[in-house]
Amino acid sequence: MLETKLGDFEETILLFVGILNEEAYAFKIGEEFEKQTGRTVSIGAVHSTLSRLADKGFLESEMGDPSTKRGGRRKRIYTITALGQKALKKSRDFKISLWNQFPPFATKKLSTF
Amino acid sequence: MNKKYKEIKPSPLAEKLLLWFLKEDLAEEVLGDLDEKFYSLLENQSARKAKMNYWFQVFNYLRPFAVKQFKLFKLNPFFMFKHNFKLATRNIKKHKSSFLINLVGLSTGLACVILIGLWVMDEWNFDKNFEDGDQIYRVLANHQIGDGYSTQVHTPDLLAETLAEEIPEIEYGTPFTPAHFFKTSKISIPGKKITAAGSFVGENFFQIFSHKLIYGNKDEVLKDKSSIVISEQLAHNVFGGVEEAIGKSVEWDMVDFKVQLQVSGVFQNVSSNNSDQFDYVFPIANFHTVVPDRPVHWDNHFPSTYFKAKKGTDIASLDSKVKQFIKEKLPEGGYQLFVVPYSDYYLHGTYENGKQAGGRIDYLMLFSLIAFFVLIIACINFMNLSTAKATRRMKEIGVQKAIGADRSSLISQYLSESMLISLLSLSVALTIVAIALPYFNQITNKEIAVSLSWQLIAALFSITLITGLISGSYPALYLSSFKPADIFKGKMNRSLGALWARKGLVIFQFSLSIILIISVLIVYQQISFIQNKNLGYEKDNIIHFPIEGKIAENKESFISQIKQLNGVKGGAFSFTNLMGSQSTTMGLTWDGKNPEEPVRFENCGIGLGFIELMNIEVLEGRAFSENFAEDSTLIMNQTAINAMGLKDPIGKTVNLWGQDQMIIGVVKDFHFESLHEKVNPLFFRYNPEQALTMNVKLEKGKEKEAIANLSAFYTTYNPGYSFNFKFMDTAYQEQYNSEKRIATLSKYFAGFAILISCLGLFGLTAFSIERRMKEIGVRKILGSSNFGILKLLSGEFTKIIIISILIAIPVSYLIAQNWLQQYAFSIDLSIGFFLAGAIGAIAMTWFTISLQTARIYAINPKDCLTD
Repeated sequence: MLETKLGDFEETILLFVGILNEEAYAFKIGEEFEKQTGRTVSIGAVHSTLSRLADKGFLESEMGDPSTKRGGRRKRIYTITALGQKALKKSRDFKISLWNQFPPFATKKLSTF
Repeated sequence: MNKKYKEIKPSPLAEKLLLWFLKEDLAEEVLGDLDEKFYSLLENQSARKAKMNYWFQVFNYLRPFAVKQFKLFKLNPFFMFKHNFKLATRNIKKHKSSFLINLVGLSTGLACVILIGLWVMDEWNFDKNFEDGDQIYRVLANHQIGDGYSTQVHTPDLLAETLAEEIPEIEYGTPFTPAHFFKTSKISIPGKKITAAGSFVGENFFQIFSHKLIYGNKDEVLKDKSSIVISEQLAHNVFGGVEEAIGKSVEWDMVDFKVQLQVSGVFQNVSSNNSDQFDYVFPIANFHTVVPDRPVHWDNHFPSTYFKAKKGTDIASLDSKVKQFIKEKLPEGGYQLFVVPYSDYYLHGTYENGKQAGGRIDYLMLFSLIAFFVLIIACINFMNLSTAKATRRMKEIGVQKAIGADRSSLISQYLSESMLISLLSLSVALTIVAIALPYFNQITNKEIAVSLSWQLIAALFSITLITGLISGSYPALYLSSFKPADIFKGKMNRSLGALWARKGLVIFQFSLSIILIISVLIVYQQISFIQNKNLGYEKDNIIHFPIEGKIAENKESFISQIKQLNGVKGGAFSFTNLMGSQSTTMGLTWDGKNPEEPVRFENCGIGLGFIELMNIEVLEGRAFSENFAEDSTLIMNQTAINAMGLKDPIGKTVNLWGQDQMIIGVVKDFHFESLHEKVNPLFFRYNPEQALTMNVKLEKGKEKEAIANLSAFYTTYNPGYSFNFKFMDTAYQEQYNSEKRIATLSKYFAGFAILISCLGLFGLTAFSIERRMKEIGVRKILGSSNFGILKLLSGEFTKIIIISILIAIPVSYLIAQNWLQQYAFSIDLSIGFFLAGAIGAIAMTWFTISLQTARIYAINPKDCLTD
């Protein structure tokens, strides 16, 4: 395990894997990313991040069922590992603790978050 | 998804590109994702945009995690080279016999190619070593003979000079008399006389041919009529040095012609790859002095004509100008002139019916082809032996592949193996060449010396590499194609394709060998046919020597005196010996001659008793006799009488060069030219003035004694001259020197081809026995006789040989027929040759196989079945 830190883009992708669940494969993740952020991303970039996350041990993958949409080809479905969950949680906790220390938001506004 | 989108597809090129660089295990998912993206874009965007996006996506996969590892970055080539080298040497050590077979075969093949290559290069550079050599041309003449044409190098004396004057594109022209016409001429100073061969030329000779002048100016040396330019060698021989020779006077003489000359220049010896060889040159004006009564006009042909055209001259238009030129000079026609590049004539010197018909180039092509085939046969051995041995290396290949060697690294391994062997063969081949070159030079009558130049080294290495590549390619592709899983499962069914390929290659080899055997047989038979053919005259026990000195004035008394000598049967003089075309004329007319149809006659000056001496049969009339005045009589051959269409020719009068002559005899046709030619019309004329050759007949069985007597008599009779005689049959055989050379060369090369093929067969038999060892053991136990097993093993190969024979016979028939066509008189292609070739091939095969199969007698079934 070389690197266990989670980058920003990596974190987003990791979250999308969790959100999409059974449908978490490179094309769908890219699609969802574009829909929700309004930014474009290439499938290669998503795929590259996914494989990096898998190298770090945050993701597992296996080949899904073939589908006619893809010319009968199978897709690689990613799932978050326990380590991945932990890393996400750690990242979220860290951010929350930072928000809590940020004066303008430290009061009521945070509760709506 | 909408149906119509289905028809739009992403660009196949982009897909190809992706697959080329993408890791194989990612291909499926990535292609799937990209397809989904593409079709989802199509739903609300244009096809063009979707396609563009596909390209964009493909390029975005150029990321380290997705890109294949290319070998370029992975392998250490030097390490692999060392590894391959080690494997190759180990493999050589392990299979010594097949290594030896390959080494012998490839080195012989390479040696053949190198020798032939040297020969071809040498021939190719013939006559090409002059400055502005591409501007030098030669004029040839097509003479009408009957309804065909005969091409001659001889041209009118004045042609060169007049052409240069009248055609502006021609810078310089020179006549040139071939040096062999005057090879017995003598150059003498007081107290020294040296035989040298030289040529009469025009004054511009050295401006056309850039022979290097050691002394003298090329514009001046031949200006003066009494000048002579001699070679460095001749200067040394006569004067002892170049300096000493300059300005000295010498006497030139031949027979009883004499002329005083002054050395005006010295040239560097003529290089050996030049077809015109001479020791001296001097102005042709002297020829007209020594032979004063020679008619000089446009239909009397003697020297060759060379000229140098101005730079950039269009040779086709020049050629038509030369044709027009002779039409104006000689309106009655009879022959046409045409122009060919000087250096072309050496390789393309054969003309048939006035048309170019090859020449030495044919032999060059033939031998290049043979050398190439010998090498191919050797390469085939390599292929066959290494693929046959594949079963033994199966496990090696399997392990290599299982560990991770891919196909290309296996291919490079086998190629380096074959390269190593061909490099080793090259060193052996070079040794062979070094040893064989003197003999080769002797056979080809050449002076080839190997000088190391980078071109030669580059050529040698490229031949070697190509050999390695050819011989290694098939085994490399074949062996590397095995699937490791099959190998270990033992599922290696010997693929039928490979077996057939191997058999096909053996058939190819043997067909070539059999073609060579048959061809050599036929060439030999034709040559012995030529040498033993009844020529219509007797050439045995006849010697001839030049008439010189005192003999020239007293020919008849010399003859009557030598007749007294023991062992000498008789003598007669003549213009030259009977061999080859000598002097031709069209100046013979008769009553009823069709003026449109010129007939060219061979003009043969002879003395009394010549026809009897040569045993030429007189059909009608009589031979020349001392009892008659013979100054206006002719004897003709049958062909001449037929060509003239005369009936009862004896006593008829014809006109030769304006003088009436009576036909007194008709002789049977005899072959005065080589058997390539038909017999042409000929007349004999009694001509004691132009007698250059003395012919003497010796008694059979007493030749040695007779020559000793003659030699002793000659020295006392003709002091100052040496007795240079030649046997007529030797001279006759010299006409066929090039045929003999071809016969000898093809014999050797056919020998090599056969040797190499047999070596290959030897190796294959050994392998086949080894593979079938257990089968043989079982057969022996079950009671098969040794002979039965022998039959079984040789049957397989005999089938192959029979197929080869069936292929070889028609091919060699065509080749032989083609070759024999060039002879006017040739042997019949009997079935015997082909039978002999076939039987020879089968015998050879059985012999080769039996060398191996002898082993099966010693096989003890117990040994081969227990291991």
